[in-house]
Amino acid sequence: MVDVAARSPARPAAVHRPRVGVVKFASCDGCQLTLLDLEDELLAVTERFEIVEFAEATSNRSSGPFDVLFVEGSISTPEQAEEIVHLREASTLLVTIGACATAGGIQALRNLGDHDAFRAAVYPHPEYVSSLATSLPVSEYVKVDAELRGCPIDPGQLLEVLTALATGRRPQLPNEAVCLECKRRGAVCVVVAKGLPCLGPVTRTGCGALCPAFGRGCYGCFGPRESANAAGLASHYLRAGDRAEEVGRRFAGFTVNQEPFRSVVVAMDRLHGAHGTREGDAR
Amino acid sequence: MIAAAPPPVSEVRFLPRADLDRLIDALADDGRTVIGPTVADGAIVLDEVRSVADLPVGWAAESKPGGYRLSRRSDARAFDHAVGPTSWKRWTFPPRAPMASRVEAAQSLAFLGVRACEIAALLTQDRVLQGGPAVDADYRVRRASALVVAVECATALETCFCTSMGTGPEVTSGYDIALTELDDGFVVRAGSPAGEAIVGRLDLPQANVGQRVAAADTLRRTRERIGNPVPTEGLAARIVAAAESPRWAEIAERCLACANCTLVCPTCFCTSVGTKSDLDGGNATSERTWDSCFTFDFARVAGGNFRPRTRDRYRQWLTHKFGTWWDHFGSSGCVGCGRCIAWCPVGIDIRAELMAVAPPPLSETVLVASVAPAPSTAPDPSTALDPSAAPAPSAFPASETLPERYVDVVVTSTRRETADTVSLRLATDDPALLACRPGQFVMVARPAFATPPISVSRVHQDGLTLTIRAAGPATTALTRLERGAVMSVRGPLGRGWPVEAAVGRDVVVVTGGIGLAPLRPLLDAFLAERERFGRIRLAYGARTPADRLFVDELDALARDGRIEVESTVDRAGQEWLGRVGVVTQLIDADACSGRESVAFVCGPERMMAATADVLAECGIPPERVFVTLERHMECGVGLCGHCQLGRFFVCRDGPVFSLAELGPALRVEGL
Repeated sequence: MVDVAARSPARPAAVHRPRVGVVKFASCDGCQLTLLDLEDELLAVTERFEIVEFAEATSNRSSGPFDVLFVEGSISTPEQAEEIVHLREASTLLVTIGACATAGGIQALRNLGDHDAFRAAVYPHPEYVSSLATSLPVSEYVKVDAELRGCPIDPGQLLEVLTALATGRRPQLPNEAVCLECKRRGAVCVVVAKGLPCLGPVTRTGCGALCPAFGRGCYGCFGPRESANAAGLASHYLRAGDRAEEVGRRFAGFTVNQEPFRSVVVAMDRLHGAHGTREGDAR
Repeated sequence: MIAAAPPPVSEVRFLPRADLDRLIDALADDGRTVIGPTVADGAIVLDEVRSVADLPVGWAAESKPGGYRLSRRSDARAFDHAVGPTSWKRWTFPPRAPMASRVEAAQSLAFLGVRACEIAALLTQDRVLQGGPAVDADYRVRRASALVVAVECATALETCFCTSMGTGPEVTSGYDIALTELDDGFVVRAGSPAGEAIVGRLDLPQANVGQRVAAADTLRRTRERIGNPVPTEGLAARIVAAAESPRWAEIAERCLACANCTLVCPTCFCTSVGTKSDLDGGNATSERTWDSCFTFDFARVAGGNFRPRTRDRYRQWLTHKFGTWWDHFGSSGCVGCGRCIAWCPVGIDIRAELMAVAPPPLSETVLVASVAPAPSTAPDPSTALDPSAAPAPSAFPASETLPERYVDVVVTSTRRETADTVSLRLATDDPALLACRPGQFVMVARPAFATPPISVSRVHQDGLTLTIRAAGPATTALTRLERGAVMSVRGPLGRGWPVEAAVGRDVVVVTGGIGLAPLRPLLDAFLAERERFGRIRLAYGARTPADRLFVDELDALARDGRIEVESTVDRAGQEWLGRVGVVTQLIDADACSGRESVAFVCGPERMMAATADVLAECGIPPERVFVTLERHMECGVGLCGHCQLGRFFVCRDGPVFSLAELGPALRVEGL
């Protein structure tokens, strides 16, 4: 364990350092590690903020109060549903980080299925497992002041939020399509040039168009952008001859629980059920 | 740069295929970085090329709406592939450009393989970005640094329609060197002294008759292959007139508003400026990036969005490109390269959409299937605009100063006007700022914040007053400034109120809430020479009594009697003894002397539209009703594209307009 807070140099007493906490619920820890990945800025961050709770970085613990609390992970168990309420009360600002905390994560696929059946299929003794039927974003339980999307989040966007917090302004987190960044960086469109499916046109930017720039389609981990025409894109795929099952699966990823992706998944599932695989296979 | 006529036969030369590297070397020896076509990631893109080995020799390309594929070819042709996804604006107008060091950035470039449509695109962006009144200095430097080596198109993609737009396939101007590729080499002609110097160094033989004929045949075949897919006669007028077409909503079901069309378009020029700083707000830097009228934020202002729906954004794009571009820059904004068709991820074909939204008269549709010569794309001036919006901008003074630099000003005092509105008194001795006319505005910059346009609410001998409502993050921060704070302002910008139009006439001023701020300098101007104007009435509405601005001043004016002041509020408690109701109720035939009056209006657009109706009933002609409009603004001088309203840039052509100029633009939703 590295205690980043302890490593920071002595500061003039006059400067108030906001008390920052980083906590997690149902998630993989990858988003919190993005904070540690801010290698060039890490010292400045610890000088500007007092990190009082961050299990991945320091064994000093705190249960609050926090000026700013970064929350990773979805609310997936009854205990988490209680704890997030206490944490909200202990925090002046609450920022959720990552697809799990902002959208419910990949585990929200269970929201569309039979929770008990999943439990019975996975665990020999499902009665010992206490989990909620849904995996939901933190914002379904408490008020959230800002959301950082993505699986994982983008270090640049995290730094932007920290800068905004430090300077007292609203963070600039664009809500446009991934395509704009893809074109700005000069990547060739994988849809047009390779015929690959890509959710970039309906997905919120922030990743720097990482996947398309490496020749694969966007899988929507930042979730839907503003006015995302997911139905239009799904219709286009169907017109092009793709099967409803595969179209639905494209939207059933890390942000499946977010509208309008969720509606597309449900609609494609219904279409698939109505027509069966035979018609699709015949295409 | 411009070759008016084809060069004499003696100057048409031939470059054997084996010598193509000599041309690339000559460009490099000229100190230029050569940019040209090369294969990457399944497409022919533009990038740095160092030799023939980098060119797409042996590759062919095909396109269709929403599709583009490369294939191998049996010959060794290097340029037989028309246009790919990249356009040359990536170098003349880069996707990201730091604001601080923009002008120095000129490395000498050579563009190798520029098509006729792409030359037209460069010339189109020249008109936009350096055709005035404001000039993008960064673009000018980069553009001047680039030598244009054109290539005649020996093939056309299915998505090409340069013939319809009158931009190709023949390269006729705007090049330094032009190549026509034949099987065994290139017919070469120079189009400028710079091009001639390079070609001269290669010491090439004259092209023989067979080579010249083959070159001409190449172009003839390309033209025939493209045909004339888009009848453009009268297109500009037709598309502007189609603002309420139901087709826009239908397109919006397919359109993803992903902005790909605008980013591959070689003429689209819209940008935004973003600011970054370190954790303490220091070292703030700004960067200009490509933006698009398809994003939600593009037309957003604090508190609202002028184009919230995809149908609004698609209409803006297509109408600007083919219609109002003529009003703004004197040409079509489309060069017919077809990139927006091929690189639309869902394959929307603007050729088809144009014909559906703005179909040509029946007699013209015959042209679709023919290979008739391209009709002139210039619209008939008498029909170019929506007839109901016919009057040209009147002669009231436009901004003469186009400052592109910020001036630091000091806040000398602050005054809270209402719960959310503050006036900042600023000290400056900048002559341009002190010459600010009523109704003009300034862009206000603070490190790490967006840069909002703010109307000047009073001009003093030694400074300005800005009255700012906390509507978004940037304006909220401004209202929190204290005495002694320093901020940067750029201006004055835009066309203000036409004070002279009121001389000798009765005046009605109608406004609501914060709308009084940009009108106060107008009232100051009237009071300064009170005897030149007739009766002056001010009708002022606010949500509640506490939302009224400048209350003491208005009370003083009302007592003084030089201006008749009437106020109303939407709702009030017992303490309010004045009128309750909307501001239009204050205006009636008694309030103005009909045709002899002139009216000045500022408020939310719905309020201004309602006021316009009442003023019309009073008999005031639309030429003498002036309104001021709010739009998203970034540059303030007509270069960033955000504030477009039909045929106007609100920042440059307005923000003050007469109703006659605006025509229906004030009332079309989402324009």
